[in-house]
Amino acid sequence: MEFISVKDVVKEYETAVALRGVDMDVEKGRWVSIVGPSGSGKSTLLNIIGGLDSPTKGSVFIDGVDLGSLSEDAMARFRRENIGFVFQQSHLVPYLTSVENVMLAQYFHSITDEAEAVEALNRVGLGHRLHHRPSQLSGGEQQRVCIARALINSPKILLADEPTGNLDRENTRLILELLKKLHSEEHFTIILVTHDPFVSKWAERLLTMEDGRIIKDEPLYC
Amino acid sequence: MSLFIVEAVVIGFKEALKLALVWLVFSAFLLEQNRQKLIIPFYWGVFLTFLLSLVSFFIHPDLFVKDVFARLIGYTFFVFFIGSVAALYQSSGVRLFRFRLNDTILRPVVLLLTVFYFLPDIVGSSLFIRELSLMKESYAPVYVSALTGFVVTLAAVVAVAGRFRRTLGKFFGIAQFLLFLSVVKLLGGGIKGFAELSLIPSVERGVIKFVHDVVHQTFVFLMVPDHPLLRVTVWNFIGILFSSSFALWIVLLVVLTPPVMFLYRSFTARIPEPEGVLTGAEKRKIKASIKRDRLRKAVPVAFFVCIILVSWFSGRGEQVSRFYNPKPKPVVEDKGVVIIPLTDPAMDLMDGKLHKFSLLRGEDTVVIIVIKKPDGKLAVCLDACEICPPEGYGQIEDNVVCIYCRTPIPIETLGQKGGCNPIPLKATMTDRDIRIDVSEIDRLWQDVRAGKTKEIVK
Ligand SMILES: Nc1ncnc2c1ncn2[C@@H]1O[C@H](COP(=O)(O)OP(=O)(O)O)[C@@H](O)[C@H]1O
Ligand SMILES: [Mg+2]
Repeated sequence: MEFISVKDVVKEYETAVALRGVDMDVEKGRWVSIVGPSGSGKSTLLNIIGGLDSPTKGSVFIDGVDLGSLSEDAMARFRRENIGFVFQQSHLVPYLTSVENVMLAQYFHSITDEAEAVEALNRVGLGHRLHHRPSQLSGGEQQRVCIARALINSPKILLADEPTGNLDRENTRLILELLKKLHSEEHFTIILVTHDPFVSKWAERLLTMEDGRIIKDEPLYC
Repeated sequence: MSLFIVEAVVIGFKEALKLALVWLVFSAFLLEQNRQKLIIPFYWGVFLTFLLSLVSFFIHPDLFVKDVFARLIGYTFFVFFIGSVAALYQSSGVRLFRFRLNDTILRPVVLLLTVFYFLPDIVGSSLFIRELSLMKESYAPVYVSALTGFVVTLAAVVAVAGRFRRTLGKFFGIAQFLLFLSVVKLLGGGIKGFAELSLIPSVERGVIKFVHDVVHQTFVFLMVPDHPLLRVTVWNFIGILFSSSFALWIVLLVVLTPPVMFLYRSFTARIPEPEGVLTGAEKRKIKASIKRDRLRKAVPVAFFVCIILVSWFSGRGEQVSRFYNPKPKPVVEDKGVVIIPLTDPAMDLMDGKLHKFSLLRGEDTVVIIVIKKPDGKLAVCLDACEICPPEGYGQIEDNVVCIYCRTPIPIETLGQKGGCNPIPLKATMTDRDIRIDVSEIDRLWQDVRAGKTKEIVK
């Protein structure tokens, strides 16, 4: 079985159907982009893969583990240890500094280690912004703190939902270059949701969604 | 229901609770260590204990044997306590020993320790129950109620508690387990029924006497100079050491230092860096699990500290209330001899209580104490020791207690010279009375006056 395997996933809300039967497999260490118009179900799919949401029907396997079989506690533990998230909105704790925000993720995972947190921020190029609060950082810098935070616990998968949605072209490129560097060093799997063709083309594979279905699956050669 | 029956049920309840709790924690501990098979020698040990106590029940052991068992309980407590202290040091990083025993060696060890642990309590308790039934002059009801209390409690605890074993095991390393054993001993080791359900009073008495004697011997042999003035100064100083609760504080310090140090280390000691090629997250995960384990293992130790503190503070008031200090009866000398009758209508010297007699010698009133010892002999002493001002002794259960320094002295040691013991008098016993030469009294009293106590020089 593939590293990530989504089998016939349907997600129905009372007012709408977000996913109408999605099948997809992702190999370990790949970088996959998901594109598609607004409302096509990209975020819903990503959240289900990340265990933040559960499907109405169908199942998701990650590294052989059936997410549907995990209790709430086990799911939380599984997420802490295997999955990192980056969203469009940074969701940083406003009254904590960059280092403290990263250390918070360490704390929820196991114990804090300031030296390691500092090192992680250095690697995303924020060595000079260690003790700044989110409000004192630019949007691009905030997203870099988010990336450091998402990767601090060495997850096997990074799920990114419109990570550059709030950034200008230059900052977007910086973030993508950073991700590319980290991806080549640490070999985690990336699933990145975007509606921006400039962003999607950094991936090795491109999935296109429409109306709750995957309508196109193509490899990309950079 | 008669009080005998209640007492028998309580004793049965207590012994069963001890057995059940020890079984529970031991099996949880073995589960965690993945050595479940060692429970078998434990069962054999328990079986052997009951067999031996049954034997002791029928061979009617005498006072001496009973006394041995009573003492054995105290020793068991100390053996397990000292073992746990050593293991605590070991587990907090100080390497005392470096071996891992295999099951072949551990099997007989577990069996012997089980017998060593339970035998004194079970034998002592069943002998006590026998005494109860003798007093009541009816055997069956007392035995049956004790047995009922035992079986019901054992069944209840085993049925209810067995499920928590997996979780319970995580809180116990070898040190915590030994500590648990000594606490169970301490809280439930008494074999005198309602009079002394726990071991705390006798352990306290024993340790206090020990500390006191050590301090005393040290000063007598090494430090007290012969010059009268210096002697007074030194004894004044030592008086502080002997003041009411000094020894108790020492005991508390000695007993609590190891567990408190262990707790301190549990919270502050550096967690070693995990070895091998690991990501930061993996290292942190290992460290977090070590930290969690340390906290869990600290729980029984913290619990022990609380128990010691609570029992220590609650034990103190009790002692004062049971203090017995009779008024001396005047006696007179007759041709150089003091005669004290063994019985008269008003008193019985053999009743096990402290008796005091006063004799006028010139300006002084010399007090003599007489008390029956557990072996049936009478102890005859001056109501003074070589150290403290001669304020005399009172009685708390099995001890006479120095009124000045509050040191308890086990009655069976009366008649021995030195230390805090009352100064023994040579006496002649007849069927009807005790005879003491006045010259002997005068000589020893002069010693007390002549500067062996500080009272006189003042
Ligand atoms: N919590 C919800 N309750 C009801 N409908 C929802 C909810 N979340 C998403 N939807 C609907 O599901 C569809 C897919 O949404 P979403 O996955 O956010 O799309 P995308 O991320 O591609 O823009 C949309 O029609 C949206 O309105
Ligand atoms: Mg979306």
